[in-house]
Amino acid sequence: MMRYLAFRLVQFPLILAIIYLGTFFLTWVIPGSPFDKDDRSKSVAALQAMEQRFHADDWRKFLAWYPSRAVRGDFGQSMQYQDWSVSEIVADALPVSLTLGLFALVVAVLAGVGLGVMAAVRRGGAMDFLSLSVALVGISVPSFVVASGLLLVFCVHLKWFAISQWHNLGDLVLPGLALSLLPMAYVARLTRVAMLDVLSSDFVRTARAKGLSRVQVVWKHCLKHALLPVLSYLGPAAAATLTGSFVVEKVFNIAGLGRHFVNSVLNKDQTLILAVVMIYSAVLLMMNLLVDIGYVFLDPRIQVREEWR
Amino acid sequence: MLRLLVIPVALAALLVAAITWSGAARSSPADFVFINRGEIGTLDPNSMSWLQDIRMGYALWEGLYSLDPRTLEPVLGCAQRVEVSTDKTAYTFHLRPEARWVNGEAVTADDFVFAWRRMLEEPGDYTYLLHYLKGAKTYQEQFAAGQSADFGQVGVQAVGAGVLQVSLAHPVTFFADLCAFPPFFPLHHKSMEPFRLVNRKTGRITYDPRFTRPPHLVGNGPYRLESWHFQQRLRLVASEHYWDKSAVRSRVIDMLSFADPRTAFLKYETGKVDWLAEVGADDAADLLARKRADLRVFGGFGTYFYSLNCNPRLPDGRTNPLADVRVRQALAMAIDKKPIVDNVGRLNQPVATTFVPPGVFAGYRAPRGLAFDPPRARQLLAEAGYPGGRGFGQLSILFNKEGDHRFVAQIIRKQWLDHLGIDLELSGVEIKTFRVRLHGKDYAVARASWIGDYNDVSTFTDKYLSHSDNNDSAWKNPVYDQLCDQAAVEPDAQRRLELLGQAEQLLCDQVPIIPLYHYVNAYLFRDNVRGVPLNPRNMVIFKALEARRQP
Repeated sequence: MMRYLAFRLVQFPLILAIIYLGTFFLTWVIPGSPFDKDDRSKSVAALQAMEQRFHADDWRKFLAWYPSRAVRGDFGQSMQYQDWSVSEIVADALPVSLTLGLFALVVAVLAGVGLGVMAAVRRGGAMDFLSLSVALVGISVPSFVVASGLLLVFCVHLKWFAISQWHNLGDLVLPGLALSLLPMAYVARLTRVAMLDVLSSDFVRTARAKGLSRVQVVWKHCLKHALLPVLSYLGPAAAATLTGSFVVEKVFNIAGLGRHFVNSVLNKDQTLILAVVMIYSAVLLMMNLLVDIGYVFLDPRIQVREEWR
Repeated sequence: MLRLLVIPVALAALLVAAITWSGAARSSPADFVFINRGEIGTLDPNSMSWLQDIRMGYALWEGLYSLDPRTLEPVLGCAQRVEVSTDKTAYTFHLRPEARWVNGEAVTADDFVFAWRRMLEEPGDYTYLLHYLKGAKTYQEQFAAGQSADFGQVGVQAVGAGVLQVSLAHPVTFFADLCAFPPFFPLHHKSMEPFRLVNRKTGRITYDPRFTRPPHLVGNGPYRLESWHFQQRLRLVASEHYWDKSAVRSRVIDMLSFADPRTAFLKYETGKVDWLAEVGADDAADLLARKRADLRVFGGFGTYFYSLNCNPRLPDGRTNPLADVRVRQALAMAIDKKPIVDNVGRLNQPVATTFVPPGVFAGYRAPRGLAFDPPRARQLLAEAGYPGGRGFGQLSILFNKEGDHRFVAQIIRKQWLDHLGIDLELSGVEIKTFRVRLHGKDYAVARASWIGDYNDVSTFTDKYLSHSDNNDSAWKNPVYDQLCDQAAVEPDAQRRLELLGQAEQLLCDQVPIIPLYHYVNAYLFRDNVRGVPLNPRNMVIFKALEARRQP
């Protein structure tokens, strides 16, 4: 197991380097200048001054200058917001996005699994219908509609929450809910299908015949098996909630990384794009690794190959 | 079973850790809270160009002149007294002895020399405004080219700590207004020293713009920068050393940034914000229709127009029909602009026939633009060799996909088809591509806009000089250039405005652009708010800001 882990960790820098080169190439081919700010043409003198500061007058120069700094953790200044270094921007925004993403993920998994199990156990009943409704709404209603609706009802009319604040747990609730709806819907459907499958298997019948209670069978024996597809989905779900928080962050005015992820590309802010992409890549690689380790814990049938032991 | 709990427990633990990590500290309430337009780009006066940045510049710095909080006319700021030579090219500024930086040090003439020199050596978007100083343009060019350049030849000199002598290349009637503009603000050299960067190859000195971040930023304005959270909020606290501190109405001012105009509006609706400095177009139109008393809509400092490519050939090599002035006039006269304002703008924007917004510059008489006249337009098009639009070829209207530009383009396309029989394609592209194509003259017809910078007509008319970087129409007219050049050196203010009026008349007749409407500004503030002037230039002088709260 340890050797397997070590192997995976050694792969990380290589994968990141490939992602870096790909992103670097893309940031140079997208049209426009990172230094233009509005419709007016930037004066040649001002543009030259900027390009010299960022070594951005030639892509070879930039490629030679930037990675060596980036490896040391210095991602340089943002090209669009020059008063800030990329590291400062990321250090401010990453914890916010991670917190929001994790919260949404926890809510999605807990509520989704709950709904899914109940739906499977009471197949065709009210619970099944509710789970189906949640899934339908979660998948089909875009998050900006959900987010705007929550904002209007709970912040403006009921005044239960403040708009655009990031002080305590309460401020996490609405954006977290808006972000969790889509993964929650998926988790509920996945759990339901897997659970139905497991409930009809032989060992369940045997367990019931042995006299185990229904609750014990469902929550102890079946759930473990039904969770495997959910676990596989957690990797992509983590990717979606962490990188896909752009809309929710924008509507709730939360200073997360999702906003920079999209805006830096629109601004062609090359230093910021590279840093955000690298950080997201690293987080997602870690998430996938965690999911793989999770398999081993959940399913005794999955084992790390003999040679890796 | 225990193993099953590992994941939720681990996630919960991570979540708790993350919440602790990302939590922001609560701060005491401010005396005045406002939502600025968008986010702050930079607080370095050298590179400020966004409205919201310049607006904050007035809180943190003060030039030789400042702006009157109500009329925005230039009034003496850091300078106490000024002597102007009879030929109006030499200015002697006597600084106020009580003018102080926020750290209590006196503002000296050297601080201005340092800032203006930096502007020339490390140029920004507005460096060209310093070219009015004698020798400044030559110095900047020589310095940039790496040649030996003598700053002694530039017309700015400190005579002792309290006197600044400025010589201009020619009389500039609006020089006082320029002195109140951020590129002319002084800079505190000592606090910027730790941020000095020396290029190892060239020996050039530049400054890391992070000197603007609290607690490093030292300004000389009515406020000091207490805190700044990237794209979230910024707190200003009244400077204890500001010379006119008795005029400062609010001690603590919070500026909030919102990425989404709708959320900004909702925040205002919760009553926690005193002034919303830019209301989103949809919300503003809705509020206007509902006659909301706290919505303030008033004339702006810019124009929305269509730019016509005047090059003899189109980018693909075909002959450009728009090179013929009669075609451009026909296109302009075939647009009824009222439906655009009624259906897209929706804020009663004044329909435009001229480039310079009328009534904005005192004493300036707007020329006559082309009126909506379809029969005359058809006649002109026929005279140019395209009767009924035949043989016109396929052109397109270029616009960026963001905002409502597509709707304007659809209305204009329909009108040109109905009135002239020509059918243009609509070509919507992403903003960065749009700018590359607009500046590269890679278009036939493109949407465009212009917002003035300083209080003089030339902030508009300079755009269409033959050599201007911003002349996106490729329209070159020697008479126009001559009139503008003549106006630039004309010492008599009224005569100058006449010359610029003649130049704009030429712009209206030759139609390198088709003005559509003049912008309006939309603010939201309740009646307890004082000190927000409804001035076209969209600026506020922070010391006058006040929200009278009920005890």
